[in-house]
Amino acid sequence: MNCPHCAYDNLPGSEQCGHCLADLTQLDRPVAQDRVERSLMEDTVRDLHPTPAITLPPTASVQQALDLMLQHQIGAIPIVDGGDVLVGIITERDLLTNASDPSAESAPLSVGDLMTSNPTTVRASDSLAFALHQMDAGGYRHLPVLENGQLLGIISVRDMLRRIMRACKTRGW
Amino acid sequence: MELARNLKVDSVSRLHPTPPWQVRPDQSVAEAVALMRQHRVGCVLVCPDEDELLGIFTERDLMRRVLAVGLPLSVPVAKCMTRNPVVVHPKDSIGAAVRRMEEGGYRHLPVVDPAGRPLGVLSVKRIVHYLAEHFPSIVYNQPPDPNVVPLEAEGA
Repeated sequence: MNCPHCAYDNLPGSEQCGHCLADLTQLDRPVAQDRVERSLMEDTVRDLHPTPAITLPPTASVQQALDLMLQHQIGAIPIVDGGDVLVGIITERDLLTNASDPSAESAPLSVGDLMTSNPTTVRASDSLAFALHQMDAGGYRHLPVLENGQLLGIISVRDMLRRIMRACKTRGW
Repeated sequence: MELARNLKVDSVSRLHPTPPWQVRPDQSVAEAVALMRQHRVGCVLVCPDEDELLGIFTERDLMRRVLAVGLPLSVPVAKCMTRNPVVVHPKDSIGAAVRRMEEGGYRHLPVVDPAGRPLGVLSVKRIVHYLAEHFPSIVYNQPPDPNVVPLEAEGA
C-alpha cells in the first residue's frame, strides 16, 4: 500500500504512512464498482421512503396487533411507550411462535409479553449497505428507522429488494 | 462482479434452498405450526405424498386464515393453505426467482424439479444473504455504528 504523498510502501491496512505520517485511512475505504454498489453505498435508508410506522403501546392486546397487521397488510408493528420512544417490535414470527389455540381459555397476552425488546434499528441517514448488512446478520425482514431518536418509520426486506433490482434495471430474465 | 449479470446467470440451486419441510393435507394446523417452530422456518409445504406439492402454508396464512377468523388450530392444514403456489426450478435464474417474489409479495418459493417434486424452499432471507455476499467489501466493511469512528488507532 503505497502512500499517495511520498510513495513509501506501507503494510496493507496501515492507518498512517510510516514515512510522512499522512493519514491513509481513506485508502482502505471500499470503492463502488458499479451503479448498484454506488447506490448501496451512497443512498440512505431515507431514500427507501420508510413507511410511516403504525404503532401500538406495549399494553395493547395480541388480538389488536393481529388485526392491525391484517388491516394494513404488514408483518411487523413497532411498539412505542407513552413518550413515543421505541421499546420493541412485534412481528408475524412472534405470533407464530406464540400462537395458541383461540378456543383454549387462557389469560389474553399483551404485545409487551411477545414483542422483541430493544430491536435493531437503523437511522434514516445510514447507508443502504448498512441496512442490508443488518438484515442479513440478524435475519430481519423489518427494521424500524429512527431519526434523532424518534421513530420515523419502518423498512422491509421488500423495499430493499425492489431498490436493488431497480438499480440493476435488467429486463428479460 | 456485475450483479445484474450474475442474477441472470446464477441459478437457484446455487443458493442451496432449505429442505422442504412437509405436512400432509390432513394434518392439523397445530402440527404444521409445531414443525415451523421446530425448524424455525416461515412456511411448510403441504404434500399428500413426498413427490407431490399440493400447497404451501405460511406465517401469513396462519394469520389471515386461522388466527384472524378464530379457527381452532385443530383444523386440517388443507383448509387454510395456499393452493398451487408459485414455484421455481433449480435451474431458474436467481433474478427470475426474485422477480416472482417481488411480483407476488412472496417471502418463500417452493423449489420443485421438472416433474413437480418438491426439492426445497427458497426464502427471501437467503436472497438477502446472496446480495450481501455479492458486495462483501461494501456491506461487510460497515462499522457496527457507522457514525462512530475511532479517533486514534488501537494501541496507539
